[in-house]
Amino acid sequence: MKKLLARFLPARPAVDPRSLRLPAAQPLDERPLARQRMVVVDLETSGLDLQRDQLLAIGAVVIEDGAIDFSQQFECTLCQPGHRAGASTLIHGIAPSAVAAGQAPDEALLAFMAFVDDSPLLAFHAPFDQHMLERALREELGYRLHHPFLDAAVLAPLLCPEAPPYRGLDEWLGHFRLQASERHHASADALATAELALILFSKARRQGLDNLADLQRQAQAWRRRQLSPSL
Amino acid sequence: MSSSAAGKTAVLQNIHGTMEFLRKYPPFNQMDSAQLAYLVEHCQLRFYAAGESIIKPGDGPVQHFYIVKQGQVVGERPHSARRGSETTFEIASGECFPLAALLGERATRTEHLAGEDTFCLLLGKDAFVRLFAQSAPFRDFALRGVSSLLDQVNQQVQLRAAENLGAQYSLDTPLRELAPQQPVACSADTPLRDAVRRMHEQHVGSIVIVDDQAQPNGIFTLRDLRRVVAAGESLEQPISALMTQRPFHLPPDASAFDAALAMTERHIAHVCLVEHERLVGVVSERDLFSLQRVDLVHLARTIRHAGRLETLVALRSDIRLLVERMLAHGASSTQITQLVTLLNDHTVCRVIELVLEELGDPGVPFSWLCFGSEGRREQTLHTDQDNGILFEAADAAEAERIRQRLLPYAKRINQLLAECGFALCRGNIMAGNPELCLSRREWTRRFSAFVREATPESLLGSSIYFDLRVVWGDEQGCAQLRRQLLAEVADNSLFQRLLAANALRHRPPLGRFRDFVVARKGAEKDTLDLKEEGLTPFVDGARLLALAHGVADSNTLRRFAELVRLRVIDAQDGAAYEEAYHFIQQTRLQLHQQQAAQGLPLTNRLDPDSLNHLDRRILRESFRQAQRLQASLALRYQL
Repeated sequence: MKKLLARFLPARPAVDPRSLRLPAAQPLDERPLARQRMVVVDLETSGLDLQRDQLLAIGAVVIEDGAIDFSQQFECTLCQPGHRAGASTLIHGIAPSAVAAGQAPDEALLAFMAFVDDSPLLAFHAPFDQHMLERALREELGYRLHHPFLDAAVLAPLLCPEAPPYRGLDEWLGHFRLQASERHHASADALATAELALILFSKARRQGLDNLADLQRQAQAWRRRQLSPSL
Repeated sequence: MSSSAAGKTAVLQNIHGTMEFLRKYPPFNQMDSAQLAYLVEHCQLRFYAAGESIIKPGDGPVQHFYIVKQGQVVGERPHSARRGSETTFEIASGECFPLAALLGERATRTEHLAGEDTFCLLLGKDAFVRLFAQSAPFRDFALRGVSSLLDQVNQQVQLRAAENLGAQYSLDTPLRELAPQQPVACSADTPLRDAVRRMHEQHVGSIVIVDDQAQPNGIFTLRDLRRVVAAGESLEQPISALMTQRPFHLPPDASAFDAALAMTERHIAHVCLVEHERLVGVVSERDLFSLQRVDLVHLARTIRHAGRLETLVALRSDIRLLVERMLAHGASSTQITQLVTLLNDHTVCRVIELVLEELGDPGVPFSWLCFGSEGRREQTLHTDQDNGILFEAADAAEAERIRQRLLPYAKRINQLLAECGFALCRGNIMAGNPELCLSRREWTRRFSAFVREATPESLLGSSIYFDLRVVWGDEQGCAQLRRQLLAEVADNSLFQRLLAANALRHRPPLGRFRDFVVARKGAEKDTLDLKEEGLTPFVDGARLLALAHGVADSNTLRRFAELVRLRVIDAQDGAAYEEAYHFIQQTRLQLHQQQAAQGLPLTNRLDPDSLNHLDRRILRESFRQAQRLQASLALRYQL
């Protein structure tokens, strides 16, 4: 699907030599969750249009040794010169002045990918984040993102079949009485998502799914089941 | 990897958010931002599903300092008496563990489990050690956490008091630390003149006469010297002829409070310190006073020698002041109730003596009894009279005759005590009531009836009368009465069972979901009753077990101690009950003090929300101990 999409996308810009030094992604494997490093990411964008909207902020935390490691955090606002306040400004609360004061997108993205290292990524509604990040990396650095993404929005209903059919992050946070310190702030949402992920991994272990490869397989099967009746 | 910093402006949002969370709780609310940020940046956040073990004894030395971010952690230890395990504590959001194990570099002694789905922040040991070294509030908190929970609060209270008063001392100071280096002593054959010279040279008010093994045989004080000189005795005779024999002594690890209490009780100014039967020191009234400005010995003496009722009435306000100061000095509730009881006893004795002077000797010996909290030596300042008279009589006719002789005295004593601030008993449990001015035989019959009949009234009666002791007069009759009572209760398992049911009547005000149960409406809305709901379960439980196992003491804490010694209750349980009882009583005394300061009527009703976070938590734990005691009674008596 990803590859198919890529074929129809416009010609890619020249590869930025700095991106060549970034580590290559590790495929998902069967190491136990407790030994798996992964990066939980949340993006704030100027809107939900996958082709036109811009990446405004990246927040990420790391799950390592089965815990969220507070010494590894990524938080960055990107400078997007053409950006103006829009409807989504009210949601993420990033003022145009903050965007103007942000970091140059190429440097921010390089720093972020260095932070990610070779670890897989996890996000809530991951396809959106994955796509926005892929596009930004391609446009800014000519870099092809190969890192696998896990989607908490799929893992949650998969691992909690007893819960009501929630869709949004807020519903899941409410279900587990989790609270983001500041909702719609990329870092705070990433942390809340990571907390949700810890709960989900705890459930996964009990269901005998103690590695990301198995989890991803189950998640893909679950997605197919969800999609098939509507097709 | 370092805390990443692309476009880092100030503190990262998640660090900031976590700091804000922690700032709601001690000690984090007292730490400066840089230290708190350091703490958060070095944390892991970990999830534990309900029932999952967090740390356990088998894990080896503890490697992390844990802060509960969300959820609840419970401590489980194997149950002492039954199979399975029981929850010994609960740790809620913002609270930390396991400090003692971490500082002691050992494994935890209690398994910590997630009571529900729980997130904990884990701070690695290295970062913990660094914060411990650099942050005074964090260090204080960690050190306080090492002793038991309740000690934490006591230390906090005392630290606060010490800070406020700039004083370095406490009533708990061991006497060893107060006694001057070398006790001044001499042998029995020392001529008095030489002994007095040595006292003079050493600037002391007493000399202890010891044998070859340094065992104290007597004491001679400046007060004795006055008497000797006034009597024109020879200064050349050996001191053994003039000394006070068998001087009172305490072990050197007894507290300043013990010494002050002994001096007050015995009207002495010097206490020998004896260890392994050897004299190791002497503590004088002066040594205590240089330490303790709270002049309780003086106060007791003034009460004891008050010439007129007016003086006694006036002294009551001094007692109130003394208690206030003692609370401020960090005295424990046990010390305060003991002291109040002692001073009250002095007042009662003095009132009786004044009445005897006023009305003349009745010509019949009698003992003045007290019941209830006074009988248990657990009085606070706000107390009503619960008293009676016991005398010896050959038969019913003589008993009646003596009763009629003594009743006017009793009524007068009740009346004067009321003037001194001991409220008249609403239930008329007073010696002036003919039903409570009885011969020993009549008392015995009355108590037997309580045990035999087991009606609601007699159960209520037993909860008052069975905590009896003598305040004034001969103690023999009362001791005999008590012996008979203990024998009867021990033989009557039905009565024990009823007492047990009675002891379960007042349930500790704990809700199913951890919070306190408070009154829903009326003037008492949002409050709970510290005495009825908190203390009474302990008092009732201790009484039942004491009566059933032949324990003669009437004080709740001494009953627990004795029950532990007799192995009726487990030592750990005994200690837990004692701490809990102590804390509830302390909370009650502080409540009374606040009410008095605001000119409000004194009640035992407390709004738990008025307590700080730590106190609330400990109060909850204390009530839980009451629940445990009740559960053990229910099991023991199969209720």
